[in-house]
Amino acid sequence: MRSEPIDPPDISWIRVAPKYITVRLIGWAVSALISLAILSVPLILLLTGVWPGFPAWLAWLLAGGTLVIQVWIGLLIPRQVKAIGYAERDEDLLIRQGIFFQRLMVVPYGRMQYVDVAVGPLERAFKLASVKLHTASPQTNASIPGLPAEEAARLREQLSARGQARLAGL
Amino acid sequence: MTTPEGNGPVSPSSEVPLTPDRAENWHRVHPVSPFVRGWIALAAMAYFFGRDWFEAMFRGEPLWILTEGRGIWAVVVLLVVVLLLVGAFVLSWWFTRYQVTEEHVRVNSGILFRQHRQARLDRVQAIDVIQPLLGRIFGLAELKFEVADAGESAVRLAYLPLASAQQLRATILARASGVELDPEHPDEAPEAPEHPIVQLAPQRVVGATVLSGATVALAVVVVVIGVAAAVGYVADWGGLPVLLSALVPGMIAVAAGYWSVFSTAYNFRAAVSPDGIRLRYGLLETRAQTVPPGRVQAVAVSQPLLWRTKDWYRIKINVAGYGVSAENSGARTTLLPVGTRDEVMQMLALVLPDPGTEDPFGVFTAGLVGQDNDGGFVTSPPRVRWLSFLTWRRNGFAVTETALLARSGRLVRNLAVIPHERTQSMALHQGPVARKLRVADLQLQTTVGPVSPVVYQMDIDVARRLFNEQSVRAAAARRHSVPERWLERRQETVQEQAGAENGKAEDEQR
Repeated sequence: MRSEPIDPPDISWIRVAPKYITVRLIGWAVSALISLAILSVPLILLLTGVWPGFPAWLAWLLAGGTLVIQVWIGLLIPRQVKAIGYAERDEDLLIRQGIFFQRLMVVPYGRMQYVDVAVGPLERAFKLASVKLHTASPQTNASIPGLPAEEAARLREQLSARGQARLAGL
Repeated sequence: MTTPEGNGPVSPSSEVPLTPDRAENWHRVHPVSPFVRGWIALAAMAYFFGRDWFEAMFRGEPLWILTEGRGIWAVVVLLVVVLLLVGAFVLSWWFTRYQVTEEHVRVNSGILFRQHRQARLDRVQAIDVIQPLLGRIFGLAELKFEVADAGESAVRLAYLPLASAQQLRATILARASGVELDPEHPDEAPEAPEHPIVQLAPQRVVGATVLSGATVALAVVVVVIGVAAAVGYVADWGGLPVLLSALVPGMIAVAAGYWSVFSTAYNFRAAVSPDGIRLRYGLLETRAQTVPPGRVQAVAVSQPLLWRTKDWYRIKINVAGYGVSAENSGARTTLLPVGTRDEVMQMLALVLPDPGTEDPFGVFTAGLVGQDNDGGFVTSPPRVRWLSFLTWRRNGFAVTETALLARSGRLVRNLAVIPHERTQSMALHQGPVARKLRVADLQLQTTVGPVSPVVYQMDIDVARRLFNEQSVRAAAARRHSVPERWLERRQETVQEQAGAENGKAEDEQR
């Protein structure tokens, strides 16, 4: 997957905070452990002899498959976070994300209905925040996670100011 | 406001607020409304009690509640429940009042939990006048005032006498449009003159129903069942009754499909007036929808497989107030249930008064039935042939000065049109396979609705250029879009194109 990205070459992207990788990894570790624990239940029951009738291959496949998939997801996280970027242009905001499934989104300032700044407990511990832009279209899934708190505040103010200056109807 | 609770004088409901209401003027809806609204509850009760009685009658047994002197109590309980129900509906009617001022429409409702709702008139996205079957018997209609909140009616007035509902609609539209009323009679807001565009003949409606997608589904079901039955017969398998009983839900779905096509296309008429597009339709429940100019966010023309034999098309629209409209199986978002190519062009001309091209007919025809580069369309590169072998010559886009056309589909043809000034945001998508082929999809995002325009599998360089150019075009178009009050001329527009605007405004008034 070293081929060219979809975004235009002449954009200088602002990347999100590297600390966000840690946040994502912690979240990933928790969910990975939980799913691994649940999907290993048949294997444990089989090995302890509680449920000997369970097909061994399926038990191993469930546990092993989960482990492989989760490790793979975990290995992807740093690259995924590094792939997130945004750029403020004169008329609009560009947001890019993804490695395998890339997405490049443009949200005109005049189209923004409101801007959300959300902080979860984990993000707060790392002084991070995510900014989400809402337009009249629910398909506009324009969120920038993992911004440093001050940058999130600056971006929110900047977006609101620009949105007001270029406000258009629906 | 002197009476913040909205407890000022309430005028009789038949009196329609023709003049802008003062803050203390409130109105009630028609006194019969609680019964029209509550009849479903009463019908449900009648069904509940009636069924028992009916079954008992058929079995020839005496009904339990009517034996040993319970009958009198049953009647008493029934009466009390009915009275409570009627009382609740009457109370809710009594506590619901509305007013239409110069700028706003307000509705106060609720008995224990009061709700005060106010909507700005110039934010209107659409107005519906609906007559359910029972409302038609009483000559009553519901008025629905939609703002841009994706499907939740901002204001519903149920029910008003039909003539009053129509008069109120005209008044609201006149005030929302910013039209300058005759200064000598400021209270007279005449219904804007209409010009009929399309009227569907019953034969067309029946034909469209017969040739709709439900028939294709029916054919598939019949073939599957037939094959299964034949196999079952040969193999002497006893599961045939099970198979046939599985047919029932399928048949119900097919019948529902037929019904939805038929009932929404039945008696469909479209007209245009300075207040926008007006659609009327309905078999049992009739609706008259008004969509003011500049409120249509996106349009899609599609052609189900069998309609190809007749060259018929269906037009769907996104209007911010309509949402996805689960109600009426999407009828509200249908601009034209079934139309010939000429009718489609006429309706598109209403939605997109300025097509922004020298040869609109050619471009749109290419969008409807064409392939490859006819009409200036740009299509997917030939290298995606093995991925989408049916559609790669159809998938494509064309750009006019005012709109973007996204074409797709081979068996079910599809053309989405989105005016530049209505684009909310855009996204380029590319998955792993698409990256190997150096193509990407461009998704144009608009308000909630049945239309979601996507330009599929464009060469990555073309897609990137379109993405950039489209954001520039959208930004430019936003600055010149139709003002929210559509008959009020904007300051800058007046200066820029005074002559042209004057001619256009006069045209519309005629």
